[in-house]
Amino acid sequence: MKKRNKIAFTLIAVIVGFMVAIQFNTIKEPSIKQVKDTRDSYELRSGILKEQKVQTELVKEIRNLEEKLAQYETTISQSKEQVLSETLEELRSNAGMTSVSGKGIIITIKPIEENILLGENVQNVSPDLLKRLLNELYQYDAKEIAVNGQRIITTSVIRDINGQTKIDGKSISRDSIEIRVLAENAQKLKERIQVSETIDNFYVDNYEVTITNPLDIVTLPPYQNSLKIQYMEPIDE
Amino acid sequence: MWLPIFGLLIGIALGLLTDIKISSEYANYLSIAILAALDTLVGGIRAHLQNIYDEKVFVTGFFFNIILAASLAFLGVHLGVDLYLAAVFAFGVRLFQNIAVIRRIILTKWSLFKEKAEKN
Repeated sequence: MKKRNKIAFTLIAVIVGFMVAIQFNTIKEPSIKQVKDTRDSYELRSGILKEQKVQTELVKEIRNLEEKLAQYETTISQSKEQVLSETLEELRSNAGMTSVSGKGIIITIKPIEENILLGENVQNVSPDLLKRLLNELYQYDAKEIAVNGQRIITTSVIRDINGQTKIDGKSISRDSIEIRVLAENAQKLKERIQVSETIDNFYVDNYEVTITNPLDIVTLPPYQNSLKIQYMEPIDE
Repeated sequence: MWLPIFGLLIGIALGLLTDIKISSEYANYLSIAILAALDTLVGGIRAHLQNIYDEKVFVTGFFFNIILAASLAFLGVHLGVDLYLAAVFAFGVRLFQNIAVIRRIILTKWSLFKEKAEKN
């Protein structure tokens, strides 16, 4: 074999060897990942403990960061940008992200006890009925509504998921539902809702609706989930 | 004679030491390319033993075969036909044939060598 031929042959051999080695590496890798988890319950428990420690660390870190954020917020409120943050706060309260209190009424929906004693099954409060009640409340000038500590906002959904009535994905209690309503004229609201047909419909479903007299201070919690904004985008300048 | 084997070892060592990995989707293509390369290598050895070795044919054959095999596998994936099997079959058969030829040539050479030794 000529010398030049030999060099070409050797180069090709190097390339082939290289390719084989890479393929070997590639094939070898996944088998390590797919090793079966053969830890017994004690080892799993110690694993959980380890993860819990990590979790506490993370929670601590989150708390630190939140404190820092709070500090920044206070410095912002003291600065010239106060107006901006005030606007932000206003918008947040409009969107239902802050807790509010004011004049209002509390509506309680409970299963009728006599019917339970008679052995009738208590069904879930139907989401349609609940929706209707809330719509009616808004119609009669209710400002803010919270159901069982869950604030109702513009995008809140009330629906039946696997036989359970849920508001924004969280189930509401079957035993008693407390609806807190804020209104400018709570007395008027109460009178109007008391004679409403929806209340009668609750009776048909074996639920009893009681409405408190107008209270001076009713407190509503903020909306707890994060807001998902799907269709809004900032304008490009 | 020993230089190509040495080159092969260097290549393997290089590949293992650099620890290069390709994603598993492309592992198929690489395996088919390796088969093509091996086929060409063995073919080159056979041609050398038969004294019909041509460097141009060998080098172009090497790259062309690899590209053809990989593109055949690619086409197969996109057509939903296991076309790479065609490449595996063709190269596999040729590999065995070439190795058989090499074995026979070496056997003949060896027996000739033995006869000479006996005569002397």
